[in-house]
Amino acid sequence: MGAIEKQRNILDFTLSSLGRRKGKNIALVVVYTFVIFLLASVLFFTHSLKKEAFLILQDAPEMTVQRLLAGRQDLIPTHYIDTIRQIRGVQSVAPRLWGYYYDAMSGANYTLMVNAELNDRAGEIIIGNGVSMRSMSGKRNQALRRNDIIPFKTYDGSVLTLKVRGLLPFASELVTADLILVSEADFRKLFSIANDQATDLVLNVRNAKELSTIAAKITQIHPDTRPILREEILRTYDAVFDWRGGVIFMVLSGVFFAFIILAWDKATGLSAEEKREIGILKAIGWETSDILLMKFWEGSAVSMAAFFMGIFLAYLHIFLASSILFEPVLKGWSVLYPSFRLTPYISVYHIATLFFLTVIPYTVVTIVPSWRSATIDPDSVMRM
Amino acid sequence: MIFHPGILALLLGSALTTSMLCYSAYEGVRIIRNWDIRSGSERQLELERRTYLVSTVMSYVLGFQLLSLFLFIYTADTLSPLFIGAMCAAGSLNVNGFGYSALVLKIVSCLLAGLWLVVNFTDNRAYDYPLIRKKYWLLLFITPFLIAETSVQAGYLLGLRPNIITSCCGTLFSTDAKTVMSEFLALPRLLSEAAFFLSAPITVALGLYVYLRSKGAYLFSIVSFIHFLISIGALISFISIYFYELPTHHCPFCILHPEYGYVGYPMYLAILVSAVSGLGTGIINPFRNIASLCNVIPRIQKRLALISILSNSAFVLIAGYGILFSNLSMAAY
Amino acid sequence: MIRLQNVRKVFNADKANEFVAIEGVNLSIDSHGATVLKGPSGSGKTTLLSILGCMARPTSGRIMLKEREITSLPERFLTEVRRETFGIVFQQFNLIKGITALENVMLPAYPNGEKHASLKKRAMELLDLLNLIGKAFSKVEWLSGGEAQRIAIARALINNPAIIIADEPTAHLDTRLSREFMEIMRQLKKEGKTLLIASHDPIVYDSTVIDRIVEIRDGKIVSSGDIP
Ligand SMILES: Nc1ncnc2c1ncn2[C@@H]1O[C@H](COP(=O)(O)OP(=O)(O)O)[C@@H](O)[C@H]1O
Ligand SMILES: [Mg+2]
Repeated sequence: MGAIEKQRNILDFTLSSLGRRKGKNIALVVVYTFVIFLLASVLFFTHSLKKEAFLILQDAPEMTVQRLLAGRQDLIPTHYIDTIRQIRGVQSVAPRLWGYYYDAMSGANYTLMVNAELNDRAGEIIIGNGVSMRSMSGKRNQALRRNDIIPFKTYDGSVLTLKVRGLLPFASELVTADLILVSEADFRKLFSIANDQATDLVLNVRNAKELSTIAAKITQIHPDTRPILREEILRTYDAVFDWRGGVIFMVLSGVFFAFIILAWDKATGLSAEEKREIGILKAIGWETSDILLMKFWEGSAVSMAAFFMGIFLAYLHIFLASSILFEPVLKGWSVLYPSFRLTPYISVYHIATLFFLTVIPYTVVTIVPSWRSATIDPDSVMRM
Repeated sequence: MIFHPGILALLLGSALTTSMLCYSAYEGVRIIRNWDIRSGSERQLELERRTYLVSTVMSYVLGFQLLSLFLFIYTADTLSPLFIGAMCAAGSLNVNGFGYSALVLKIVSCLLAGLWLVVNFTDNRAYDYPLIRKKYWLLLFITPFLIAETSVQAGYLLGLRPNIITSCCGTLFSTDAKTVMSEFLALPRLLSEAAFFLSAPITVALGLYVYLRSKGAYLFSIVSFIHFLISIGALISFISIYFYELPTHHCPFCILHPEYGYVGYPMYLAILVSAVSGLGTGIINPFRNIASLCNVIPRIQKRLALISILSNSAFVLIAGYGILFSNLSMAAY
Repeated sequence: MIRLQNVRKVFNADKANEFVAIEGVNLSIDSHGATVLKGPSGSGKTTLLSILGCMARPTSGRIMLKEREITSLPERFLTEVRRETFGIVFQQFNLIKGITALENVMLPAYPNGEKHASLKKRAMELLDLLNLIGKAFSKVEWLSGGEAQRIAIARALINNPAIIIADEPTAHLDTRLSREFMEIMRQLKKEGKTLLIASHDPIVYDSTVIDRIVEIRDGKIVSSGDIP
């Protein structure tokens, strides 16, 4: 097939030409790679956070019922359970106990949660990875281990010492990093919560379609409560994370435009040497389409190199280097998060989106300059 | 509006593609008005150079439109959790009135861009560019479609709000609902099966006839287009359910999901390619008596017919594979 | 072989700096001969040569190549004609730096879609013919003037053209190398190639290789006689 051989010959020559003009091309590829790296990092990062949130919420109950007092969440009396269970379609209702514990020593906020498995093992806790990294016992740089003793200050002023029984597994570090699982008895002791009260109630229903009807009934029976549906939370999370990603993209558009201008400049400002070369090729029998083909391969090679390097670096950055560049943003979120790891996840969709946001604008910007250089008159070299 | 990277990508891509096309249309007007191949004037030489720019732009436009079509569906898919009742693109596209119109316009503009490239390819084989004015008229005809596509898509994407209640493939593509699609689905499955299993071999046979005899291009072209519509209908009405292994699930989009091995992509691509090659055979046929094209056109038609045969066969093979190896037993229904 | 009828070439038409470079040229070039276009600098030799060699289209007039009218062929087809019919040697060799001599020789054939291996074999044969086999894999910037000149000739021959066009080929060569160049031309003429050389160097137009001298001045042919 002549057409294929022709493509191969021209591709070969293009690649060797790119090699000959390393200096010029390297600068462009570096900036191009950097832009793709930034955008890809944002995309991977927000998406992974979304994914993590989704993972947490997947196990979350279909409906949570909170009690409001003066517009703020308050403890809910456990006797509400009995009335709610009476509602048709409700399968199960259970109380939950959880809250935050501020540790002045490390300046961190931990999530404390009652876990049924610990109920007959009062005095013991299971801790997340973030907790183990930043010791609360004052041994700042030493990880907590099994059987270490941690002192907690209870709400009535005394000290409660609890023993580490084990560490939480890694599955989703964002979720478990600051988590401490305690027994019900210890939790009530720590925060002085009466036995007939809980943080909130969770319920499961027989048919997901009835969720909103059940929610309406609950507010009717207990006007001081607020039922929250899992679907709603998921939707809000999705929107919030997409929005964050979109906003960061807009912030980065400055960098992006700088890159586009650079690309335009590089494509327009052909060196005299390059112009001469194209002139020679045209004079010895290459046609405008052949030069355009060469320019196409040239652009593709530059784009592909930058694209894959950028994505690869972003992958390293987000999933292996704990998103170092986003650390300042995260730090505001919680002091605990500096070194959690996100679960690696990339989809074809991300690649396609990035392609649209980077390669297509680059290509569009280079079309006219490429065409201009390809239409040099073949006899022009005879006058240079 | 929802600030989503995919939405930004689609809006940016479309805006760039359409502005390139508008520029090409402007060049097209100049070419239509001033083209004179017999002249050696500098203006004529300059116009000739411009034709290279327009060809290049149109190749990219087709490529970008194809990518954009799939990115559009994919984005609608990923956005579906934001809307109440949406499980896939079918629901997201239904969120406002522009969704499905944008999809149809995207498909139409892909077909048109493909056809333009066929005409351009043909014209560029003839030393006197006999189709030059016609192909730039065609370009002027295509431009409004892309502008419409960009505007409707923007209308759709910018009008998205989270929490909108919509209905999804379960109802849109079911036999109980009152939609155009459901009317179609309510036809006996046997009918759509018969239509597909008739039109596929007929199209391939006519393609072979064009390939071997260089005759019958118009008929082949018309049949190809009918087969294009039948294939999409068949995909929704009976092919998809074998992949989903659910006798009531007729969704044109879920088949693009990773759960089904992205099998929808090659299938839709095959449908589009065979439509363009089939229609392309016919669109160049009126010019086969032009002196400089009489040797060129039969060769191009042969090639297009071959492409059509191959892509149609690929579609039938994938569909056949899905039907034969499905765990869905139709005997029960 | 090539016939020009009333050819005219205008630069910057309808502008203040409009310039008529070629005016009313009628010229017929026969096969297998060696023709020199002779004239002072700026007389229009290069312009005429580029029209003859299908590198530029005339503003008006007609061109016939082997009885085929090619006057208004678009660039796409003119290039094909040029690639098949003409081999071109430039004043400044115009080799592409940074790649090997061999690659330079192969370049004009890339758009033909010939298999790389067979193309390479033909290029090596040509280099062998011109005593350059040892330089095949050297970068062109390391070659001497004479070697570069011969590489340029090899490149002009790779598509096996019927006509060799050379624009001031000896302008950058010393006397010895200029004579060597003319010897190669003699050889090519013997093989049946048609030669078309623009030059105002006596080594070229006084050479016994040349059959015919066409004299140009201010874009017009002043004499187009054969050498007695
Ligand atoms: N592209 C151009 N634009 C304007 N003037 C040109 C151009 N090319 C050549 N000329 C003019 O045409 C005349 C003939 O040039 P040329 O053919 O190169 O002469 P020669 O080769 O005999 O030295 C010169 O005066 C030159 O300035
Ligand atoms: Mg000159």
